[in-house]
Amino acid sequence: MEKKGNIFNIQHFSIHDGPGTRTVVFFKGCNLSCKWCHNPESISPKRQILFYPEKCVGCLACIKNCPGKCHKVGENGAHIIDLSTCQRCFKCCEDCYAEALVAVGEEKDADYVMREILSNKPYFDYSGGGVTFSGGECMLQVDFLSELLKRSKEAGIHTAVDTAGNVPWERFEKILDDTDLFLYDIKAFEPERHKELTGVDNKRILENFEKLVASGKEVFVRIPCIPGSNDDQLPLISNYLEQFPQVTAELLPYHAMGNSKYIALGSKPQIDIPNMDKKVAARLKEKYHFI
Amino acid sequence: MTHAINTEKVNVSDRYMQLIHNLHDDKVKINDEKLKIRGSIDIDDHGFICFPDFHFEPEYAEDGLVHGPKLIGKNFGRFMREMPKYINRNSALATCWVGVIQEFMKIGVAKEDRPSKEWHDTVEKYHILQPGFAGMNHLCPDVNIGLELGWKGLLDKVRKYREINQPENTDFYDGEELLLLGIIDWVEAHAKLAEELAEKETDPFHKQNYLRIAGMNHNLATQPPQDFREACQFIAQFQSVDRTYFAGGATNPLDRMLKPYFEKDIAQGKLTEEEAVWYLASLFFNDTHYSQIGGVSPAGDREMTSRISFVILDAMHLLGIPNNMGIRVHAPLENQGDSPEALLRRAVEYTIEDGFGVCYSLEKGITEGYAKNGYPIELGRMRTKCGCNWVAIPGHEYPLQDVTRVNMAMALHYALEDLKAEKEYSIDRLWELFQHHLSIMVNCIKEGYDKHYEVIGRNVPEIVLNLFMYGPIERGLNCANGGVDVLNLNMDGIALATVADSFAAIQQRIVEEKKMTWERLFELLDTDFKDAENERLMLHNIKRFGSPGSIAEDWALKIRDEYVHQVHDTPTPKHHLMTIPGMFSHGDVYMYGKKTPATPNGRHNGDPISHSSEPDPGFARGIDTFSPALKANAVAKTQAGYGNSAPLHLDIDTGLIENEGGVDALVALIHAHEQMDGTLINMNCVSKEKLLKAHEDPSAYPDLVVRVTGYSAFFASLSKEYRQQIVDRFLSA
Ligand code: SF4
Ligand code: SF4
Ligand code: SF4
Repeated sequence: MEKKGNIFNIQHFSIHDGPGTRTVVFFKGCNLSCKWCHNPESISPKRQILFYPEKCVGCLACIKNCPGKCHKVGENGAHIIDLSTCQRCFKCCEDCYAEALVAVGEEKDADYVMREILSNKPYFDYSGGGVTFSGGECMLQVDFLSELLKRSKEAGIHTAVDTAGNVPWERFEKILDDTDLFLYDIKAFEPERHKELTGVDNKRILENFEKLVASGKEVFVRIPCIPGSNDDQLPLISNYLEQFPQVTAELLPYHAMGNSKYIALGSKPQIDIPNMDKKVAARLKEKYHFI
Repeated sequence: MTHAINTEKVNVSDRYMQLIHNLHDDKVKINDEKLKIRGSIDIDDHGFICFPDFHFEPEYAEDGLVHGPKLIGKNFGRFMREMPKYINRNSALATCWVGVIQEFMKIGVAKEDRPSKEWHDTVEKYHILQPGFAGMNHLCPDVNIGLELGWKGLLDKVRKYREINQPENTDFYDGEELLLLGIIDWVEAHAKLAEELAEKETDPFHKQNYLRIAGMNHNLATQPPQDFREACQFIAQFQSVDRTYFAGGATNPLDRMLKPYFEKDIAQGKLTEEEAVWYLASLFFNDTHYSQIGGVSPAGDREMTSRISFVILDAMHLLGIPNNMGIRVHAPLENQGDSPEALLRRAVEYTIEDGFGVCYSLEKGITEGYAKNGYPIELGRMRTKCGCNWVAIPGHEYPLQDVTRVNMAMALHYALEDLKAEKEYSIDRLWELFQHHLSIMVNCIKEGYDKHYEVIGRNVPEIVLNLFMYGPIERGLNCANGGVDVLNLNMDGIALATVADSFAAIQQRIVEEKKMTWERLFELLDTDFKDAENERLMLHNIKRFGSPGSIAEDWALKIRDEYVHQVHDTPTPKHHLMTIPGMFSHGDVYMYGKKTPATPNGRHNGDPISHSSEPDPGFARGIDTFSPALKANAVAKTQAGYGNSAPLHLDIDTGLIENEGGVDALVALIHAHEQMDGTLINMNCVSKEKLLKAHEDPSAYPDLVVRVTGYSAFFASLSKEYRQQIVDRFLSA
């Protein structure tokens, strides 16, 4: 049977996720829950509902047609959503032509995703780019990932996997041959701090990282920098990485882009600070030898 | 292997920098004054200078119009003598142009030569605002003809062929001769003006400059240009004359044209590169004629990029006013060095730095598409970028580009009206009716083209461009009427996405999901979706054309195929002239939209229709988010495919590309679009912030230049609607 994957976005022209111009396929589902995650809709492996009240035209279709009676008009006229009785039929999203209710996450087969990747091959060829699988955590759907990597390689496309690394090493082994580049996130160095910030400790993450570097694969480390959260970890990470001179590390300065999506998901961003100043970021990069 | 070309930026000293800056400031000032006198200008800013006190008394025919080669030549020649003479103190060249001649005299086709009433009725019914008949210019001259002969030599040529051909009706040659005599006097008058200015000038540099201008203009009244600067002066004169007559704006590739003069003068030590930059800046100050740099030789084996291509690019960049230069982009040729890549990169860097720049004319789609018409591929390579969106073979082809629009949304509108009356509703029937109405529009234009071919020469000849084509003077025939060898008439379809999304919305919502009835659709269209915002959104928010694998994309391809078939597969009915399809809509999607009733894609009555073969802004849905690549893929896929372009507009937020990969990414995008058979890219790079601020208060940003579609303009010169169009495009990107 054809493998299917749960993905939530395909971005066709990225210059931030590996060399050249790239198509980035975002997988849904993650086993970390970083406080600052700017793709909060990527964490749950399930399809979810996003609600943008400013787009609502008040047609009441969602209220009338929801089998779980999840949509209500509150006393002050506000639209209240209670998903505890939701039957996951996504009729409300289908009926909402104003696109105030939007379902995020779609099951797609490999043929579909490959068609989109291949449609951008000329951009890869001219820019030295390729495809990057990201997420969420794409390695949670390793069979689907592995099929896409194989087929991309067969088509002569450069492949990159963007991972937080919190999976059994066997999963890496499954995809090593078909992956040209790993974009590897290191979010904290001390295990307990890592747990505090992301929900899990980083023992397995660092072990996998070391094995991956030892395997001779090209690894590019990415360190999100969230002022007030993990910036205390930067010197430690920098220090740790000194033993891997072959590895380049990039600092990703915090931006608040995902915050509106927390609200659309019915929750609240845990971090509410402005975008990181470019000059501050530049100073940190220089100090800790990140690019 | 070719010898390496110097690809460095030209070193320009303070003196020349200052002159170029002064030219820039003068242009902004002139523009400001023009705005005060005339209000906003939505077409190309061609750089004319407004002389509100200048009046011209034309000589009219009995019917109160000016028509016929002789009468036009007579008036035009006198107009050249009488129009204000101009030399900017900071310029290396003389002349300007003062507005199109039609503003000073009523030129038109004689009543008996106009198309039938039925033809006019069709034009009216379908709102064919540009029906092709009596379209002027939109072919490409070869200015080399003039550079070799000079104005006096052109006059001798006209006289020689008059002798040889001994035509019974001498009107054609009379007109050309009368015009040339006027031009020669106008050139001489600039020599005089320069002498007078030199007399009064106290600064030694400027005095010397005026004297040199005087000398050049004396020379050019009697002989062809002898060096680089005189060649630039001749081209400026050509531009002014050409522009005056129906705003002609095309030229053959500028780098190829100037290369021999440039290389000879440099080798002889008569010219420095910074002087060349100043002369070129003065030329671009004079007018915004369309031209091209780069590209391949007709045989396809040689690069045409040379040192002067880089010098031209620098001059445009330093001057920083609207320009209409295109770069021809093609896959690298073996053993021809990497200068074309360097030129492309430089152009992209300047676009990012300046926010606007050249446009990118794409070899493969143009050349291979053109060859599909049955022409040798070598002719395709010769088709040069010489108009806002279009290409033509300099000197040899009469393609009448850009003077027609088939607004396919009007064909859909009447198809829906008919279907409503028939009372048996199906999408197949709607398609048949659409085909029928589309064919009425296409055939109307073809009929108009037949008439144009019959009558235009004896009414409103291409009196300027005939001089710069191979054939008209030799044959005694206007270029539209057998004067040149290649005649093929373009026809541009517009509103592709509007119609494709409309069919897709009907298929999805009415036929497949049955969420709406046909009756309700007709009601909604009749009432312009009054009190039915939700249903409008139901139709609007489907996977629109541009979304990969959407049914709207299938419709777009089907509509494109039908349009191409109707235009291309049958020649004009009477004279069997070839017609070539294109897809292009200029900035005038507003103008056409205003006349187009509501459409089933949820578009309100009067709203703009879609551009070119581009998807509508905001097309991306579901897992696909907007990206330039997605838009580019859609445009590449739906090209008309016969060598006439359908441009891709990219409005890039500088935020996206400011890091180092930005230039590479854009260069890759341009190359990839070329390989995918795209034909043209127009690109703006502005920060969102700046654009929004300038929209609010344009006068605070008098310097901001944007590419509207195929042409660029001062943002502040545009009407609010045109500015809005650019802002919308930008925000949805
Ligand atoms: S279906 Fe959408 S637009 Fe209608 S009431 Fe619900 S949220 Fe609002
Ligand atoms: S998914 Fe279905 S059950 Fe859940 S809220 Fe929407 S309509 Fe109601
Ligand atoms: S690993 Fe990435 S996707 Fe997962 S929670 Fe952290 S930031 Fe979000």
